Amino acid sequence: MFLEQIKEKMVKVGAAIILIALVVWFVFPLFWMFLCSFKSPQQMYSLPPIFFFKPTLANYSEMIFRRDIFHFFFNSLICAGISTIIALTLGSLGGYALARARIPRKQDIAFWMITTRMAPIAVVLLPFFLIFLSLRILYTLTALVIVYTSFNLPFATWLLWGFFEGTPLEIEEAALCDGCSKFGVFRKIALPLITPGLVTTAILCFMFAWNDFMFASVFTTRQTMTLPVIASNYMAAKRAIPWGQVTATGSFVFIPILLGGILIRRYFITGLTLGAIK
Amino acid sequence: MSKKIPIEGWMLLPTIAFLAVLSIYPFIYLIRMSFMEFSRVPDRPSQFIGVKNWANMIRDPLIVHSWIVTIKYYVTSLCLQIVLGTILALLIYRTKALQGVIAPMISAPMFLAPVLVGLLWRLLLDPSYGAYFYWMNRLGFFHFLEKIGFSNVKSVFGSNSLALPALIVINTWQWTPLIMLIVLAGLTAIPRELVEAASIDGASSLQRIRFVVFPLLKSTFIVALLIRTMDLIRFFTVIFVTTAGGPADATKILAMRIYENAFSFYKLGYASTLGVTLLGITIFLGIAFVRVISRGEAA
Repeated sequence: MFLEQIKEKMVKVGAAIILIALVVWFVFPLFWMFLCSFKSPQQMYSLPPIFFFKPTLANYSEMIFRRDIFHFFFNSLICAGISTIIALTLGSLGGYALARARIPRKQDIAFWMITTRMAPIAVVLLPFFLIFLSLRILYTLTALVIVYTSFNLPFATWLLWGFFEGTPLEIEEAALCDGCSKFGVFRKIALPLITPGLVTTAILCFMFAWNDFMFASVFTTRQTMTLPVIASNYMAAKRAIPWGQVTATGSFVFIPILLGGILIRRYFITGLTLGAIK
Repeated sequence: MSKKIPIEGWMLLPTIAFLAVLSIYPFIYLIRMSFMEFSRVPDRPSQFIGVKNWANMIRDPLIVHSWIVTIKYYVTSLCLQIVLGTILALLIYRTKALQGVIAPMISAPMFLAPVLVGLLWRLLLDPSYGAYFYWMNRLGFFHFLEKIGFSNVKSVFGSNSLALPALIVINTWQWTPLIMLIVLAGLTAIPRELVEAASIDGASSLQRIRFVVFPLLKSTFIVALLIRTMDLIRFFTVIFVTTAGGPADATKILAMRIYENAFSFYKLGYASTLGVTLLGITIFLGIAFVRVISRGEAA
């Protein structure tokens, strides 16, 4: 009997140790990135790696005052923001129609939307590159907004369709009987009902656009670069890579999304698995 | 058949119109490009060359190599992530309090932009000043790796034997939390009575997991599997930023090779051919995804 209890305790302790180790494994690199953004170049290169040091704000002030990071922050914000707004607007209309109206070949439409999420990025880059080139909008923010909308719109439509399906019909039917217009039902009843769904979709769309690097690196140039592109530009440095500035840029990229993710943590899985898991 | 409100489908029209322009048109363009050859000289126009690109692709050993690397990368990453994610989910699903604290912390890597993931790990694994490299070296890890047959262990991303495993580890680091969250959602959906009944019948912890929990998690695993499949095949940003497919093509998954053909070699036609192939395979897998999910819901 006693042996049983000892075995159980040991298993529990063992599990706890493994869990703690895993948590450290996942969190440490992010903590390290944040920590290094306050290091001077000397502190950055010193071995063994140091955890306790006199922090400096030099990297941040360099990024803000000399490298004009807020200009690129706003580029990112504009591209991610506008594509999210378009995706939400058209997506909620389309999602509602898919959930409520009698539309032929719904399965095919749904499938087509999901395939745009599956297209390998390299595959999408090519035609867009040539199309933008011929339209002469290649290095503008407009081009980037268009590209981001091309994958955020189907994603938003799909997600919001799922959220609308989850709301009860009775309230809407009652409102229609009370003389409300069909669009009014959409605007005043259905939409407010899925507010958490709207927020989740918005944050996820924003995150995909904000974090994007591949499209941004091909479709932007000096003035129109977004934050991820700025971060990677340092890698081409001829001399030592200024890791302090890279990690500081990382903070600018990571923290907004981290906050957003915390906000929608309840619906994160629903969003990322396209509604397959609730 | 659920009742429907008689709303015209016009609300869907703007979306369809947008998508038709943004996805159907480029797709047709892409297919057309796969039958052409683009010249680097601005004056010479691109030429229609029929199926030459496709014939070349089938006989190209570099492409075969890329597929092999892609499969190695994909299978290893997927196995690692599913195993680790499931273990994590099993470790924390019993305690609600733990879930609320641990799950968000472990999930943080998913929010970091892939380009920064690549750069961050370059910093951690740099042979001269990387923290992880330093500690692994001190612990004799590289010495051990050399003993068991890995060559070129002086650096990680510059090593043709360590580069791909490193990328697999990085991908696992970033996306295992997703598996954990998916399995967690599946686990919490299992009614407690079933598991309790099994333990009353005398089943040990491990037996309960094997014979009660896992069968019920089957569709959950399939969702996790297919979501990760689509992403592992498509994304190459981390690879691009850390190794760019090297050293010596050791990490050149097909997606990376498509980018290289298009933007380094300007062989846009050939790149389109590769792209259409990859897209076709991904869509095929996606069909399986939709079919399995809808079958799961009908059940």
